[in-house]
Amino acid sequence: MAASMDQESCGVKTKLTKSERKAHKKQNKARQTLLRHEGINTSREVTKHLVVANAGLSNGVHREELWRLFEPHGDLQDVVMVTGKPYAFVSYNDDQSAAAAYTAFNGRMLKSPEELQQPNVTFYLNYIDEVPAQRATGLDLPPGLRLVEDFVSPACADRLLEGLGWSNEHHMDAEQALKHRRVKHFGYEFRYDNNNVDKDKPLPGGLPDWCSQVIDRMMSEGHIKHRPDQITVNQYQPGQGIPPHVDTHSAFEDEISSLSLGGQTVMDFKHPSGKRASVVLPARSLLVMSGEARYLWTHGIIPRKMDPVPVKGQEDSMTLARREVRTSFTFRKIRHTPCDCKYPSQCDSQLQRPGASLPRSEGEAAQLEQQHVHQVYEDIASHFSSTRHSPWPRVVDFLKQQPIGALVVDVGCGNGKYLGANKDVYSLGNDRSCGLADICRDRHLEVFVCDALSVPIRTGAVDAAISIAVIHHFCTQERRLKAVKELTRLLKPGGKALIYVWAFEQEYKNVKSNYLKDTKEPQNDDVRDNSSTTTDDIRGATSPEVSQNDSVQQQQQQQQGAGLPVHVNRTSFKSQDMLVPWHFRDGAKKTQKDFRPGVKVSSNSGEEKSENAENNPEKHTKNDTEEKRTSNMSNEQDRGKLSDTRSQKKQGSEDEKLESSSGACASVCHQEKSQEGPVYHRFYHVFKDGEIEELCNSVPGISVIERYYDKGNWCVIIQKGL
Amino acid sequence: MLLSFRTIMRLLTHNMLTSHVKGVTNGYPLKLQAENIKVMSVDFNPEFVARMIPKLEWQALIQAAESIGHLGDLPRELMPEYESNEEFLKMAHHVLMEVEVIEGNLECPETGRKFPIKNGIPNMLLNEDEV
Repeated sequence: MAASMDQESCGVKTKLTKSERKAHKKQNKARQTLLRHEGINTSREVTKHLVVANAGLSNGVHREELWRLFEPHGDLQDVVMVTGKPYAFVSYNDDQSAAAAYTAFNGRMLKSPEELQQPNVTFYLNYIDEVPAQRATGLDLPPGLRLVEDFVSPACADRLLEGLGWSNEHHMDAEQALKHRRVKHFGYEFRYDNNNVDKDKPLPGGLPDWCSQVIDRMMSEGHIKHRPDQITVNQYQPGQGIPPHVDTHSAFEDEISSLSLGGQTVMDFKHPSGKRASVVLPARSLLVMSGEARYLWTHGIIPRKMDPVPVKGQEDSMTLARREVRTSFTFRKIRHTPCDCKYPSQCDSQLQRPGASLPRSEGEAAQLEQQHVHQVYEDIASHFSSTRHSPWPRVVDFLKQQPIGALVVDVGCGNGKYLGANKDVYSLGNDRSCGLADICRDRHLEVFVCDALSVPIRTGAVDAAISIAVIHHFCTQERRLKAVKELTRLLKPGGKALIYVWAFEQEYKNVKSNYLKDTKEPQNDDVRDNSSTTTDDIRGATSPEVSQNDSVQQQQQQQQGAGLPVHVNRTSFKSQDMLVPWHFRDGAKKTQKDFRPGVKVSSNSGEEKSENAENNPEKHTKNDTEEKRTSNMSNEQDRGKLSDTRSQKKQGSEDEKLESSSGACASVCHQEKSQEGPVYHRFYHVFKDGEIEELCNSVPGISVIERYYDKGNWCVIIQKGL
Repeated sequence: MLLSFRTIMRLLTHNMLTSHVKGVTNGYPLKLQAENIKVMSVDFNPEFVARMIPKLEWQALIQAAESIGHLGDLPRELMPEYESNEEFLKMAHHVLMEVEVIEGNLECPETGRKFPIKNGIPNMLLNEDEV
């Protein structure tokens, strides 16, 4: 008998009072009902989950009330209400909390209105092993989407609408109301002309007081992690909707939540692949979009007066629900750094963007470099490494000149290709990218991770240093200078450092650099050998747009916005500061053994050229068919020519077809190819003749002892004074 | 012959590293804490070692080697004409080049800030507020 079992579990055999017996009876009844009608198996043992009879939606109890009641008793994890049911689930993170709640509430009538709005309610609690999974709606919901029904009580909803001050009577006639959806912004103004926010001009007044309680609860209940600072209120008349869109990445942080008041609606989500999901947003529910649901899927509301919705209790059948006036409160947090999400195809920060501009502060400079140097190298590390195999002879010469036992540091060592160049010296490398450092590690090279502006090596500790193709990634003069200063700090008196930076002048002494030479343009010089039919070239500038219209292209891109131009690969530089595209290419992927997964495919606008950094000459352009070659560098390579066409041809056979095809086809093919992978933009400041020298000369205590031009780079050797 | 495919932070490298947290005046040497050490075999080049020794902070080397239990018989003070003392050079070579820290920490002696060593790679990146 239940009564005696309870007595036993108490461990004390006492006679129960009449009321206690009654309570036990009711509790058992609840338990049996749950089992028989709901298939919920209660537990005799204390667990961390409780099922609370009479605390359901059909009892008129609200989720926020339950939260308030149960939270003080322990580490509350979740409260689950089920539509139309006379019970709710309460989960704690540990048994003790559940036991405390059990003691506090079981069989007790709650006081109204202090504890519960609804009068004469008595909770009966039972432990359960686990909260049963709520019946699937049969739809594939976008990952990162969360719907919390009954998030605010009717009273709270009324308060919010009151605070807003929009009376239910239309302030304009029906026709006008349909044309002009009522909108109000708090915190920051959202602009519909560019779908972005004026981050520099916050609206006076901030967020209204009458919203703060709701926001507090959104955070304390764990629905969002970051406090929103922008609210957009929209009122939808029946028949109004909003076209499908993704909220601008660069404007707002990850979590976007929407509270629906007044009426229900259906929101449609669509994935780029075509997958769709329709989600009913009941009145007083909170929708939270994060991750994929926020960054990748579009969301919209069809402008109509009725919505097909599943029948309550019979989720397989549909009915029509009439729309009512719905007021949505959308809570967002303004984003102050460029978006670095995993969904570049939708990301305005990461796509070819005219928005990037030269920084006006240290903070902005660091941000620009984080976005357009560090993050890129992390993402492309293994791919990048495969294109950087052969050390440049003149750099190797510098290293070989060092005496036996010299300590040499390579600041910005990349994949470490210079660290093993001279076995008689101790080479130590550092790089900003963990990914590239890992690659050094795999080659048994000594490396650590740090920033070139702050190298953790004691002053004067090294005999020599090199900085190859690093300093041109710093986006301000100050930072470039700091980099040179830091480099020289490491040198012992008399020590030397070699610096290579990409040159603005890609044509020097009437000779075009390989970067420009390796194109199919007829106007280029004829100094080409068989190596020109390489994948690099083909992936290079075979697109007719480049050869004929590159200046127009460049101009176009510059006109798109006041900001950093996006360089068109294989063309001469039009400005010193720019973003240079790098393209993940499928061909290169295949040859890459340790290709990193998780790269999202982007759908590029046709403008993107299928370039990748193999075409960047400041580092020697080679794909990893190099590996098949002997390590002997022939003279041919001294001249920077690409050789070993056979193996390259093999790899690039598909691309070779492009070379011979008509111009139009080539561009189309390139477009398709370019859509295979995302585009990355790296920031570069290319140096003019004499500029790196001038920079070095402004560092006290060093002198420039040699200067030269090598394969599209300006190079200097500096020496620290004694 | 290199035996393992992992690297390593050698004690020679440790000897050159210093804490560069903003405002720190006494960032050298970093305290070495090792959780995972590998001993490898590296070709001995006496001239290389002999030339390297004057560039080192010898006491820091001794401290670091001792803290990870690999000091061995390496003398705490440099003796005159160590350059021609082959036995000594071999010991120095071993401590400098053959003892490798794979997992551990480098701790700033002044602030206590720990720079992790994972898979043999020290991560010395500073946070924004430490720069």
